[in-house]
Amino acid sequence: MQLSPPPTVFLVMSASLADSSGKLPRVAIIGGGPGGLFTAWHLEQLTAVPLSLTIFEATARLGGKVCTASFASADIQYEVGAAELYDYSPVDVDPLRELVQQLGLPTVAIGGSAVFVAGRSIANLDDLGDVGGASARREFTNFDIRSRSAMTPADFYESGSDHAGDAVAGGRFEPALDEIGCGKARRYVDVMIHSDLATEAGETSCGYGLQNYLMNDPAYMQLYRIPGGNEQLMQAVAGRLAADVRLNAAVTAVGTGPNGTLHLQFRSGERHLAEDFDTVILALPMDALKRVRFTDTALADAMRQHVEHHDHPAHYLRVSVLLDRPVPVLPGDDAYVMLDAFGGTCLYVESACDPCATNGVLGWLIGGTAAVEMAFLTDDALVATVLDSLPPPLATCRDRVMEAHVHRWTNAVSALPGGWSRLPVDRRHRPSHAHSGFFVVGDYLYDSTLNGVLDSAEHVAGWVVAEHASGPGTMPMDRDRATMEAL
Amino acid sequence: MIVTDHDEPRAAGRIPEGLPADASLRRVLLACNEELLMLIVPLPDGNDGESAPNPVRITETVTAWAAEVDRQDSTSLPVITVPLYGCHVVWKPGQAAVVGPVSRLELLTTALSNFASCEGELRQLEQRCVDLVATVEEDAPHAFEFEGRAVSRRGTLAGRFREAVAVRGRLAVLAPAAHAPPVHPPTLASQLGERLRDRTRLAERHEFAVDRAELAERLYEACGQRISEFGIAQRQMALEWAIVVLLVIQTALLVVDLLSRGVTT
Repeated sequence: MQLSPPPTVFLVMSASLADSSGKLPRVAIIGGGPGGLFTAWHLEQLTAVPLSLTIFEATARLGGKVCTASFASADIQYEVGAAELYDYSPVDVDPLRELVQQLGLPTVAIGGSAVFVAGRSIANLDDLGDVGGASARREFTNFDIRSRSAMTPADFYESGSDHAGDAVAGGRFEPALDEIGCGKARRYVDVMIHSDLATEAGETSCGYGLQNYLMNDPAYMQLYRIPGGNEQLMQAVAGRLAADVRLNAAVTAVGTGPNGTLHLQFRSGERHLAEDFDTVILALPMDALKRVRFTDTALADAMRQHVEHHDHPAHYLRVSVLLDRPVPVLPGDDAYVMLDAFGGTCLYVESACDPCATNGVLGWLIGGTAAVEMAFLTDDALVATVLDSLPPPLATCRDRVMEAHVHRWTNAVSALPGGWSRLPVDRRHRPSHAHSGFFVVGDYLYDSTLNGVLDSAEHVAGWVVAEHASGPGTMPMDRDRATMEAL
Repeated sequence: MIVTDHDEPRAAGRIPEGLPADASLRRVLLACNEELLMLIVPLPDGNDGESAPNPVRITETVTAWAAEVDRQDSTSLPVITVPLYGCHVVWKPGQAAVVGPVSRLELLTTALSNFASCEGELRQLEQRCVDLVATVEEDAPHAFEFEGRAVSRRGTLAGRFREAVAVRGRLAVLAPAAHAPPVHPPTLASQLGERLRDRTRLAERHEFAVDRAELAERLYEACGQRISEFGIAQRQMALEWAIVVLLVIQTALLVVDLLSRGVTT
């Protein structure tokens, strides 16, 4: 998850960023999701006095995929988007964990081992041995050993960076799964990781598949959430920004303006407006990115290539259900279980961490093909379908539903397909060399996680500040390009 | 870590009412020289904790049994209940109950005994640390300066130093068990061990005990140095006096010799 360090990271006095007229550089961030907010946060952290920073958000709220909502029948929260945060600190420094701590937000560790296959809980090797015999146990153990050999905790941590090992850059994940010689063991692994992959094993890379398997090992990563809702993280970041935040302002076009500036056209309510900025940072999910029009030919070509390279959609579907009483304790005191329904689904007991809960909250995370297919169902049909998938220990919850909500996150993340090569970190973030003030930030540039988007934001913020401090064309990548052109 | 174990006879009144007929009591002598009384309640294999006999009622019954039985060695630790994938374990120092499918019972009782042995030893060491730390304030002045009137306490201080070193040694031996990282892929036994260690805060307790033992060890080590210095100083003083006396005698003899020569001359 960790990246190569930003081109230059230091605290820059705002005076040194100002041009000869004393005017601060104008920076526009398009997108008020995690990418946009984290970039703004880092930009402000890297300068002693805030930049002239504007955030354009097309909707009425900030936070994007990190979204916590409340039920109408009771003042109880549920996660609409990211239900858990990843903690890489067992391996190395975790900037997201540090940010959460820096913002003073409480956290609670969550975990779960049970995988329900054909109504039977498999929570450990003993259960797997019961279900599939000694061969299942042996095959699974061998797969585990192969996975660890292919990706050490350090490799896992570095995935997404320029130093990522072969496992990440390697082929498809499916052949690695096919090496599991026992069908029951294979099914167990499939179900365990499917919802986190958000795609099918045949459509993602070996490295990403292994990551999603190894994340179950506490030596690689741990999970946590923020009591009261993960969106508090976004609110805490947004609340500390001095930037000019424009809600309901959808950027429709980006082009070049006078004196090397970038020209933004955006819609604010019924009005169509335009402004020029020195730097534009596009922090949008892939489907929103495709809706932006680029009026400059070179920029349009560069962005077309950027989208073609990174557009490998993966999908989620969230169904959240409020129950009239607390959920029975899961076997093993777990916060979630994996179900074999819909190709592999994660069922969160969101109320599990609250000992004083008056109601139960269940949340299904459906991923991959099933999420796309089910997205066309009506909300009522979806809720009825997911309730049918309840495992035996929670079967009684079916009759206690008070309220339910469905949230469709199709094309929300990247499938990181096999055989697909990552671009160098610098190239990912600056698609067009000709437009030195134009950057891109996104989780799809890394590993489709919140940690990845924070890395992306940190990289771009460091780069932007360094460029404004030292002038365009002075960064290592620019020098390399100039050398190449000279040659 | 189990030294011996044997099944208790199904004495009337020992096994609570309402449990399956094949429930049994087992008394296990742990490596820490404590006894663990285990109530073992087998469920039919394949029972996922959901079908008859009613596992909820059984769980309530064994939890109440663990909470009510008054044992001399019971401590302030609360009764800990661990639901575990079709099994159920209740534990408090000296007493435990295991409810689960027949095929899982041996795994669970072994894991439970290993944990109980580790926890029991840590609890004993914690008590020894408490005793050591209780004397720290009283003995602290000797770590700075040892006086002659404290000579009679030398043996006591040496004994406390040996005790501090012994406690630290035992804590070092216990460290891998107390700080064992989670096992992956997990087994039922590893999951039970992890949950019990987590719920009894074994790792934190171990760290605190190490801190206390370290404090006592450092204090009594300093005391030992002061005592040693005091002993050396005492011996040096005796030697100096012996030299002085010898010099005086030598001088006296010289004077006598000179005087006797003068008289002769």
